[in-house]
Amino acid sequence: MIVLLIQILLLGSPLESVATFVVSAMMVALGFSLFLMGVKLGMLPIGETIGGELPKRGSILFIVVVTFAISFLVTVAEPDVRVLTSVISNVSSDSISRSALLFAVAFGVGIFMILSMLRIVFGVPIKYLYAASYLLVIILAFFTPAEYFSISFDAGGVTTGPMTVPVILALGIGVSTVMAGRSPLADGFGLIGFASIGPILGVMLLGVLLN
Amino acid sequence: MIATVVESMRHAVIDVVQAIIPLVIFFLIFQAAYLRYPNKYVLRLLTGMALTAVGLVLFLAGVFIGFLPAGQEIGRFFGSFEDKWMLIALGVLLGFLATYAEPAVRILCYQVEKASTGYIKSQLMLYTLSIGVAVLVGVGMARISYGIPLAYIIIPGYILAILLLFVTDRDFIGISFDAGGVATGPMAVTFLMSVAVGAAAMIEGRDPLIDGFGLIALIALAPIIFVMSLGVIIRLKRGGE
Repeated sequence: MIVLLIQILLLGSPLESVATFVVSAMMVALGFSLFLMGVKLGMLPIGETIGGELPKRGSILFIVVVTFAISFLVTVAEPDVRVLTSVISNVSSDSISRSALLFAVAFGVGIFMILSMLRIVFGVPIKYLYAASYLLVIILAFFTPAEYFSISFDAGGVTTGPMTVPVILALGIGVSTVMAGRSPLADGFGLIGFASIGPILGVMLLGVLLN
Repeated sequence: MIATVVESMRHAVIDVVQAIIPLVIFFLIFQAAYLRYPNKYVLRLLTGMALTAVGLVLFLAGVFIGFLPAGQEIGRFFGSFEDKWMLIALGVLLGFLATYAEPAVRILCYQVEKASTGYIKSQLMLYTLSIGVAVLVGVGMARISYGIPLAYIIIPGYILAILLLFVTDRDFIGISFDAGGVATGPMAVTFLMSVAVGAAAMIEGRDPLIDGFGLIALIALAPIIFVMSLGVIIRLKRGGE
């Protein structure tokens, strides 16, 4: 509503562009509710069942591979991630490639999800992991080229979207309920905050490597 | 107008197919190799994924024809003013509204009130979050106006967050990080980001790539700092009684 008022009163936009905005807003609202329904019906149970299946094999390698694959794929499909990466490659007039960014972000989430899973399995306190990875972020920040700096932190924010969060939580809860002596609540919480550090490091590394 | 809609739908379909297909293939392999669910259940899960895909197409197409251009137009308009405070005021207003109107934020606030058996009022949470985001979006716009590097804001912000971890009430830690994720909803990401990029494109000497981005990071930080601060205040009050 506010956006419409600004458009009409201040910008004096032609009626056609205002109409386009109204249509697009309806598309966004409808699309988003369908999307959420779909996540509840499809992605959430898939995350939970795969999460519960992981520790049963008793193989660390299996946990690592499957965790990486599913978090990578879910991040690539995250709506916020898709919007951010395409805006970045537009603004940079394609000097920052969209697929490289998508890869860096999803790779970051994948690696940090593996670390989270291993943390649950081995029972490492979360504060050490947080401290170590924040330290790494600060160190890498000094070497990151300016044009990658802002977008790396933004990439950390968008991964906590409507697609990734439920699946990551489901995965974490699945693993920690099967493992005896782990509290699903405390361990589930750590996953989300931790998963958003991965993309920051991923995009920073991309910037360092490309320069 | 219909041509733009159709064209952006076509792009969105390609985009979503690329995004969802690998996930579907992965699930089917996993199903065949390990899970072996009955076909009926698998069909239900696949229906869910199809719904996700259709919703995503509509969402992305809508964002690209409506939200992004409108946001950038507004950003360029406010960025062209001599008076810097106009852009900052706009940021504060939009930041507050985007959070206050976000359904996921309200749901979180109710959950918090229920989980704390009414000790943490949902209205208090809602205003804390909205004001927190408003302040940091304002800071973000000021950063664009005056060309302050993101590092000068984000690194002290993170250090403050780490310090607060140790002094805040324990219950508030989990809530604050959850709220950080909720506040960076699709509305904030798509709309506020494009306002910032538009404004950075207009102001002389700003690189949209360096100065236009960074807002989402600040929005994610806002609830973490403000909710944990709320936790400190409540802890002090409780201790004083």
